[in-house]
Amino acid sequence: MSNTHLPTIIHQISEIYFRFLKILLTALMILLLIPVFLQVVSRFVDFIPRYIWTEEIARFAFVWIIMIGATIAVRDGSHFNVDILPRVSGKVGRQINFFLLCAMLFFASIFLIGGFSFAKFGSSQHSEISGLPMLTLYIGWPIAGLSWILFLTEKIYDHFNIKKDM
Amino acid sequence: MGPLEVALILMITFLVLVLLRVPVSFALGLATIPILMFHERLTVTLLFTEMFKSFNSFILLAVPFFLLAANLMNAAGITDKLINFSKALIGFLPGGLGHVNIVVSMLFAGISGSSTADSAGIGALMIPAMKKEGYDTSMSVAVTACSSVMGVIIPPSVLMIIWGGVMSVSIGSLFLAGVIPGIIIGLSMMITMYFFAKRKGYPRSPFPTFKTFISSFANAIIALMTPIIIVGGIAGGWFTATEASMIAVLYSLFLGVVIYKTLDRKKLMEVMYESGRFASIALFAVGTASAFAFLMAFFKVPEAIVSQIAELNLGFTMTGLMIALSFLIIGMFIDAIPAIIILGTVLWPVADSVGIDAIHFAIIGVVSLAFGLVTPPYGLCLLITCALGGIKVVDALRNVVLLLIPMLLMLILIVIWPEMVLWLPSIFMQ
Repeated sequence: MSNTHLPTIIHQISEIYFRFLKILLTALMILLLIPVFLQVVSRFVDFIPRYIWTEEIARFAFVWIIMIGATIAVRDGSHFNVDILPRVSGKVGRQINFFLLCAMLFFASIFLIGGFSFAKFGSSQHSEISGLPMLTLYIGWPIAGLSWILFLTEKIYDHFNIKKDM
Repeated sequence: MGPLEVALILMITFLVLVLLRVPVSFALGLATIPILMFHERLTVTLLFTEMFKSFNSFILLAVPFFLLAANLMNAAGITDKLINFSKALIGFLPGGLGHVNIVVSMLFAGISGSSTADSAGIGALMIPAMKKEGYDTSMSVAVTACSSVMGVIIPPSVLMIIWGGVMSVSIGSLFLAGVIPGIIIGLSMMITMYFFAKRKGYPRSPFPTFKTFISSFANAIIALMTPIIIVGGIAGGWFTATEASMIAVLYSLFLGVVIYKTLDRKKLMEVMYESGRFASIALFAVGTASAFAFLMAFFKVPEAIVSQIAELNLGFTMTGLMIALSFLIIGMFIDAIPAIIILGTVLWPVADSVGIDAIHFAIIGVVSLAFGLVTPPYGLCLLITCALGGIKVVDALRNVVLLLIPMLLMLILIVIWPEMVLWLPSIFMQ
């Protein structure tokens, strides 16, 4: 076993997708500012009409920001966890790590499979104000599930192929 | 399934997963799965609809914006100006920089709604400065971490926004209610700092000349206007919490780009990304915690707890103290935001049954959870400041505990003296 870490196809795909998500998240944050800004300004300035759809657009961008941010955090491992048990090294430590990845993979598949029927249910609905199909939002759940599966597969691959010096 | 079985399944699954280092937000979601799958009247889709309902909220939009405003202030170097002003204001006391650290946290808390931004921004500047003046690292780290808890107690506050959004309490009232508790907690820290400084002979800064005082004040005044705009605007009914958060973002952008000219495009993009990422991590947990709390409510777990506690006949003060203790304990282990949703919804009927006001209850919860930010194992602010100071958590712990004891006394005061909390909202929110 070697410590060198050769990028495989899965690492390359993950890395490109990860960078894409980072840019998307930044863009959505900026997009989020605009409708809320318009809404505040329209309160105080007469010549800007008081849009209602601004609130809805903001909420749409917001839901996507959360799902994308949660996905980014799966890859860079920044979801909050609790460090209360002492870190165990060696075989047991690796088994715990593997269990953790599997639990997250299980949750991801629930998001993918269950989220699929959730999204189908949304395909018949439209938002109250701007009439956007709700599918555009609900699809975020299965997509998140699929993205987590990609990133977790990368982590499971690393788990078996990189021996860390404990 | 009765309330007891459901509560046990949820709690045990959650605890086991969290102990094995599954992220808290994932563990909360995973714990709901067995019940959703095996109960004949429920489906997994409920997890998604509950998550969607909690995200689809205009109020919670304030969370990324207040985080963004705080990070922009840090990136723009506004923190620096607040430090100079605090130094001129109070640096001449024994243990000068320790007091400066506390006062600047108070000022920063009035601008940002997040304790983590507070400890990261102030810690990066104050910990090296305090070390240079001969304070031990452990003390510099402890005072930065402890004073940053005011970030979520003094308005604006991300925790209060989430509390108001989830529990349907007026955010304006919560903001006003946090002012006095935040200030007395800060003062209690300054008293502790004073005795520390006397015993250890910490240095003091020279008394400021009138000129330095005025110039530092002039530099900070534009930043110091923020809390007045935000809290005044919400309390006066001019704008909602979300709109106020937007104004805070615009104001800090204006300060960073136009006035101080410290923000360029690259820095801006970085701050946007970091704020968005951090807000999503926190808010994702709101979603899964809401599904968790929904199941508890569906199986009437809170009612079961209320009837159990009602038999004890605890009365107003004891119930209040018990609530504070519950929040303190859960805050040691998990993030404050899911803790609000899970424990807040469960304990509210208990509080209500002994006549604790909704706002008083919220402040007890927020202050207790804020203290959880500096207590291990999961004390985010302590972890950040220890990393900044380059020491282990254990090494800062003694000083953190010494600073926390008077703060805990203030928490008890907040519990037994509701008028202190309710006075400001009662004046302004009629």
